Formats: sequence, C-alpha cells, structure tokens
Amino acid sequence: MSKKPFRPDVDAPEWKGGYGPYDIIKEGAIAVLVILVITMLLAVVFGSPDEKQITVKNWSNADPIDFATTALSELNGTSTSAQYGAPYNTASSGQAIGPLSLAKWAGVRIPINAASDFVISPLKSLPDKPVLRTDLKMWASASTSTRNGWLESYTKASSNMKFVNGQVVVNATSAGPVPTIIEDLTQMARSGALDQALVTGNGFYTTDFTKPLLFLADSGYMANLADAQHLTGDQWGMMNETGSYPGQAWLWLYTFWYQIPPFNSSGNGDALVWALMMVMSALLLFLPFIPGLRSIPRKLKLYRLVWREHYQDTK
Amino acid sequence: MAFFLSLAALIPLDNPGHYIHWHFLDLSVANLIVVILMVCTFIAALLLPFPGRSRRKENR
Repeated sequence: MSKKPFRPDVDAPEWKGGYGPYDIIKEGAIAVLVILVITMLLAVVFGSPDEKQITVKNWSNADPIDFATTALSELNGTSTSAQYGAPYNTASSGQAIGPLSLAKWAGVRIPINAASDFVISPLKSLPDKPVLRTDLKMWASASTSTRNGWLESYTKASSNMKFVNGQVVVNATSAGPVPTIIEDLTQMARSGALDQALVTGNGFYTTDFTKPLLFLADSGYMANLADAQHLTGDQWGMMNETGSYPGQAWLWLYTFWYQIPPFNSSGNGDALVWALMMVMSALLLFLPFIPGLRSIPRKLKLYRLVWREHYQDTK
Repeated sequence: MAFFLSLAALIPLDNPGHYIHWHFLDLSVANLIVVILMVCTFIAALLLPFPGRSRRKENR
C-alpha cells in the first residue's frame, strides 16, 4: 500500500514529544477579569461620548431657513429621501452592481412618501388651525399640475427666503397653500410638536425614529454638524467618533474604499464597497483552501518567532 | 453616588478632536493612538516569552 505524500499546507506532522497540562478555563477567566478591570478604569478616567440629542426642534430653532428649505424639498419631491428609491419608495432604481439591482430586488420595505409623511400628515394633527385646515383641503383637492405650479412659484421665490420676527417670509405669488404649509410646519417644528408627530403611529412604544432621522438627514444642518465632527463618508467618518474619543479603527479598510475612485464618485458606491469587502472576507474565510495564499504563513515563518523556545530546543 | 460622579471622566474627551491629514488620509489622533497601542500589543505578543517558561524547563 503506497503512502500518501506529505502536503505541508494541509497535513500536520504527528507530534512525538511529551504533553503538559494546560488550564484554558483558568487562562480565559484571567483574561476576562483583566479586560473588565481595564474597561472600568478607562470608563472612570475617560468617560464616554455624551452628545446632546439632535431633534427637529433643535434644528428648526437653530436654522429655521434650512428647516423651511428642507420642508419644501420634501413637499416638491427633490430631497434625498424623496428620490432615494428602495427601501423607501420607487423614485429611483437604487444601488446596483452592474446588472444586479440589489436595492430594487429588496423592494420598498419601509414606505415613505416624503410630502405626505413629513409635511401634510403631521400638519393634519394640529388642532385649532382653521386657515391651515382650509389650505390642506385645497392641497388635497388640487390636481398634480396645479400643485406643481404652486410649488414652482414658491421654489423660485424661496431663494430669497428670510426669517423675520419668528416667521418664514417668502415673497411668492400664485403659490396657493404652500406658504401656509411651510410656515405652519416650521412653527410646529420649533414648538417640538413635529418631533412627536413623526414618531407616533407605529404601535404602543414610539421607538421608530426612521422618519425624523430621514428628515434630519435631508437637511444642511445635520450635514454641517457631521462635517464638523469628521463623521461624513469622505472624512473616513465610519471609523471616527464624536469629540476626541477613539472610534472604530477596525473599519479602516471598509472606509478606505470610499476615499478612492471609482467608489467615491459612483452612485453605487455603497453596493460596490460592500461587494468588494464580501469578496475579501470570503478570501480570508476560505484561506486554508486557497493554494498559494495558504502557504504564506508557512513561508513567512513568523510562527518560529512565537514558538522560538521550542525550535531552539529541537535544534 | 456623589463619589462615583466625582470620579466620572477624570479626563473628559468631549472637546473637539485633532486630525492628521495626509493626501486623502484623514486620521484622528485618538484612533492613531489606539492603532499604535494595538501594533505594540501585537509586537509584544510575538516577542515576550511565554509565562511559566522556567517552570516548564524545571519539569523536563
């Protein structure tokens, strides 16, 4: 019977030396204890990030013009959320890798109608607003072309939008109910009522912040805050933390791809980076089965440094 | 409770961070320190002798 040849990458030579006792439970327990003590010490010395919550109320009071402009973009369908596609709507085909329309296949799983969900529906919940009530009825009964005409007039005039004496001022003519809608939504936001209106209606516990987060993400206010804290995609933001705290340094490779072409200029950047990282993760996962790559540790001989005591003894 | 509150965050890090820019690289000093510590730990793991070395030699 012929003996199989020894394959250095796959086969392990038979150990013919002695054996000693090794308590892995004891070593694991000591490691956990040491890490626990270090974690508690670091928490006491450095604390943890404690940024104030960003709310629609904070935003609309800090920058009412940015809020009113964003509200208009939700109403006229030009905001990022309104044009995003899946999982929120069908306004675009979303992220794809070549012919693979990943976002489209996933479908609309969190339906968002920006104009209705962010603007019209919250306003309907406001009590004692007869003028607004009439204007909302006018909006609801108007045809799409009439609405577009109102929005076009208001959008043109909004380039000179001002905020005077606590009110949004836009000199728009033939804008129908749009000025009232934007003004009342701004006041609702500044009072804090819009924050609540955007999270209610999702069951007993109001823990679904998807709508206020999307609304905030459409704003220039949120983008400026993120930019100041180095948290945006083109600032390696994925691996950064607020303030002077260390962040997720282990995400360096994932965020690295976002800094270079074609990923930083492609509309499908997220899908492309994800696919690349999945391929690289698969290479790592299946390393023992990939000829050539699996020989690197054996040829590098770094293990001889770790187990140098053993290799000195066997000389 | 007041004792623990007085202990909280002896060195607060909520102040604006410092960043190192080099070409397209944008790295926070805090992350750089963590990376240096990780590299040092890796090198130490390679170079430091295993504990109980003398005991093992005695047993032979």
